[in-house]
Formats: sequence, C-alpha cells, structure tokens
Amino acid sequence: MTELYQALAQGLLIGATYGLLALGMGLVYGVSGVVNFSHGDFISLGMFMCLALYSAFAMDPYVSIIITVPLMIAIGALVYIFLIRPMVGHQFLMVVQLTLGLSLVLQNGILMVFGGEPARTPSFVESKLIILGDVVLRVPHIVAFVVSFALAIGLYIMLRSTDFGRSIRAVHQNAHAAALMGINVGRVQVLTFALGIGILALAAALLLPGTPIQPTQGLRYTVITLLVVVLGGMTNFVGIMLGGLIIGIAEAFGTIYLDGPIGLLLPYIIFVAIMLFLPKGLTWSSAR
Amino acid sequence: MRDEFYKTLASPIWWGALVIAAIMPFVLSSYYVHILTLALVYVALASSWNIVGGMAGQISLAHSLFIGIGSMFSAALLLKLGINMWLGLVISAVISGILGAVIAWIDFRFQLGHLSFVLITLAFAEMGSIVVEGWDFLGGASGLLLPKDTGNFLAFQFGGGHGAFWMMLALAAICVLVNVAILNSPLGYYLRTIRDNEKAAQAIGVNILRYKITAMVISAMLASVVGTAYVRYLTFADPYLLISPVITIEIVLFATVGGLGRAYGPALGALLLVPLGEILRGKLGSTLPGLHYFIYGIVVISVILVTPRGLLPLFERLWARWRGPAVAGKP
Repeated sequence: MTELYQALAQGLLIGATYGLLALGMGLVYGVSGVVNFSHGDFISLGMFMCLALYSAFAMDPYVSIIITVPLMIAIGALVYIFLIRPMVGHQFLMVVQLTLGLSLVLQNGILMVFGGEPARTPSFVESKLIILGDVVLRVPHIVAFVVSFALAIGLYIMLRSTDFGRSIRAVHQNAHAAALMGINVGRVQVLTFALGIGILALAAALLLPGTPIQPTQGLRYTVITLLVVVLGGMTNFVGIMLGGLIIGIAEAFGTIYLDGPIGLLLPYIIFVAIMLFLPKGLTWSSAR
Repeated sequence: MRDEFYKTLASPIWWGALVIAAIMPFVLSSYYVHILTLALVYVALASSWNIVGGMAGQISLAHSLFIGIGSMFSAALLLKLGINMWLGLVISAVISGILGAVIAWIDFRFQLGHLSFVLITLAFAEMGSIVVEGWDFLGGASGLLLPKDTGNFLAFQFGGGHGAFWMMLALAAICVLVNVAILNSPLGYYLRTIRDNEKAAQAIGVNILRYKITAMVISAMLASVVGTAYVRYLTFADPYLLISPVITIEIVLFATVGGLGRAYGPALGALLLVPLGEILRGKLGSTLPGLHYFIYGIVVISVILVTPRGLLPLFERLWARWRGPAVAGKP
C-alpha cells in the first residue's frame, strides 16, 4: 500500500509540471497551428541557462527565473518572427522539419557550449524531504506541483477574463473573424509563442533541482510534452493538465512496479492505447 | 507508363556516374572513401524514407525502428544465435516490413492525419530505443561488437573499406532506382494523390490502405537492409546511433534539403550534407562536439526558408535560367 501511495504522490507531483510544459505547446498550437518539435530543447536551454547563472553567480534556479524568463520570452518572439511566421500558411508540414532542424541547432549549440557531461545545478531545497506517514516527498517536487498548478490557474484566468486572453481565444476559434473584429492576429501569435517559451523557462527551473541534465535530453522532453498535448486533445486546457497527471502517474507506476524497459514504456503504451480508442484525446468538447 | 524508368536504366549519364563512383576507392585516400561510404549510407536511407515521407507526404519518424531492426537485430541473431547475417538480413527485413504494415494500418484505421502520424511515429521510435537499451539480447545500452570483417562474402563480409563502399554504392543505387521506378508507376501517382488530398483520392476510388501499406513496406524493408549493411560496415552496433530517433531526424532533414518527393532530391541532400558534416567532425569534433549537427540544423532552416521545396528544384531553376528561355519554357 505504501508503494501505491508513493507512486501516486510522485506521479501527481511530476505530472503537474508535465501539464505545464504541455500547456505552452497547446496554446501555440491552438493559436497558430504550429507543433514545435524543438519544445524539449527549449526546456534544455532554460535549464542550462540556470546552470550558467549558477556557475557564474551561484544563483539558485528559483531566483534565476528573473533573468531566464524574460530572456526566453525574447528568444521565443524572435524565433517566431524570423523562422516560423514565414512558413505559417503556405507550407504546414514544413514547420515540422523546420522545428526539427531548430532542435538540432539548440541541442548541439548547448553541447558545444557546455560539453556532453551530465551536470547538476544545486538548489537550497534540493535534498529536503517531507514525510507524510509512509510517503516520502521531495520538496522540489512539491514546489513544482504548487507552482505549476498556480500558473495553470493563472493562465486559465488570463484566458477567461483579460483582453489578451480573450483575443487568444478568439484567434483560436476563428482567426479570420478575429481579424475582422480588429484583433491583430499576427501580434497575438507572436505573443502566444513567446509566452509558451517563457512558460518553459519557468518549468525548466521547477524541474531542475536534483535532476542531472545533459544536452541530448531535449528530444525526450519533446516526446513527453507531445504525449500530454495529444492526450489532452491538443488545445483543451483541462484535458492537457489531466493528460500531464496521467503521464506522470504512468511514469511513476512504471518505474516503481515494473522492472526494466517495460516500466519505462508504460506512459507510451497508455498513450498509444488512449490515442487509438479516443482519437480526439481525453475530451471532445473543444473539437477543432 | 514506365518509359522514364527504362530511360533511366538505359541512360549513359546514370551508368557513367555509377562507374566513376565505383572507381573512387582507387583514387581517394581511405579517409575520403570512408566519408563517401557514410554519404552513400544516408543516400540509401534518405531515398528509402522518401517513398513514405516525400511521395506520400507522411513524415514518418519511425524509420529508426526499421534501421534498428536491420542493424541491432541481425547483429544479435549472428552473435547470440549464430544465424548467418544474410539470413539475418532477410529476417530483419521481413520483420521491418510487417511492422511497417502495422504502422500504416494503424494510421489508416484510426484516420490519424498528417500531424498525428508524425506524433505517433515519434512515440513508436522512442519506445523502440527504450526497448533496445533495456534488452540484453539486443545488446542493451552497451551495444554489440561484430566479429572482424575478413572479406568472407558468404558471411556478409565485404573486406572492409573498398568492399563496403561498393556494397553501399550498390544499395544506394538500388534505393534511388526504386524511387525512380515508383515515381513513374501508378503507385507513385496514387501516393502523390494521397499526399495532396487524401479525401479526394478516396473519393475517386484510390485504395488508400493498400497503397499506404505498399509504400511503407517497401520503405521499411529497404531501410532495414541498409541498416544491416551499415552495421556490418561499422562493426559496432551502437544503439545510441542506430535506433535513436535522431538518425530519422537526420534522414528527414537530408531529404528536405535535397527535395522531398523527388527521385534524386534525398540523394542530393545526403551527398552534400554528410561529407560536409563528417569533414567538420573530423577537423573540429574534439574541440566542438556536435558542430556538424549544428551546421545541419542551420542548413536545413536556411533551405526551408529560402527554397521550401529543396535544393534540387532550385538548381533546376538556376540551370534553366542559365540555359536560356528556350529550355526554360519547356513544360
């Protein structure tokens, strides 16, 4: 029973952050129809920025977001304006290849700067534990869970009741009509992409404490994010957070209960099964 | 219908290029022969991928599975069960073909659409690499070391440098020829119809399932065979190279740079980029690891932004302009 609670708790905690990673991708897909295959490499970039700030100024990852988030937002805006916007509209599948190329550039750019050895960025909460009955929880996971959910709720409120949020939803529902209503669609798309990348900088800091990082990890994060986004029905807010929790729990159960490769495969198996039987993901309400 | 194909077969330019390529090992140093061999591996892989990714427009990221089966599985059969590698090549190709058919069937049965197809095949590829890294029979994370290549043809050995080069040249030529053949056959037209408008293709009675499976099986089996030859050349079956999704991404990028859906496009992309990458790696690999991938990424982004259809159409346009308007006006 202890194992069960442990797996559930661990999965829920990490799953919330996966959900946050995926929200960024889902927002971008909803507004500009772009699936960014370099998503995970932007997470890597955020993590290595934290590492660099730690090595240079002994800055805690939780503090360095003051610098990394604005920086990543700027990078996101530039990438969208100069690389992705020229492709949107006329060559939809080309964006896939373009972002795959971008993934190679980011991954190996990081490799050239930081080298291939796994690195760790210490944080003041890194080794702290909280013990609830038989369940042992790591403080960084709890911080990640709380912040992820707070951010998700913040994003939800932003989408519901601010002008910017309403313009995002308008572009998502019908870009043409939104343009006729006087919304600057191009601007909304740039800002959403930048926001999506900015969220990654936060998520990177949340995932970082206690996790060894290396430049080649990006693709695996991309795949996890894709699993979650697709599970969540691509653009459905609640579906994506739910998808994050499912993938997180599947991963925790897989590593705790099953030995070897089968354990690591569990999230993928669950993903393929859900995809085949519920092709629109976990929700149908926002079918696009 | 197949005029183009027979014209290619009878073309002196084609055979001339092949003969010139074949005498390269006598002219170049062994280092450059090695680079050319690698380039030919990727010509063959990118051309085999092109059947599904270029002609049918389905960006499959699952090809690392077929390459991985062809390389890791046939190596494991030889080392663990003592099965001759020729037989291993056939067994792996058959398994790859079946797996390809299953993936194509899933795509059809669940109406995935182009984007979901990319996602699902990437998930499959990631699963494949996890399985291989965790399964000792296939070498696990540490890989498998094949016996030394003594040139025993019956044991799928080609005697190192020169022999491996000719083997790869033959495979690359076959893969490109298969591309030419399919492009000029009814199958090629059906695939392009499916790529351009699947619903319309279905409406006019194209048997989508049949052609998707045919294309995927041909592509998967070719990739698997190339994988077996590649691992024999490398001698070391490295899971982080052969069944990593990165190898598929490289292939996709070569094909995109050269020209998707064209018979010679993927070959052009691989022939330009692989030597560039390898020479960079040889010169700067110790100081700047990953530089060649970095350059690939920059090249593909630039090519997509400048000429989204790839370099081959660009070269054709430049050639036509240079030859003057009389030729450019030809349909």
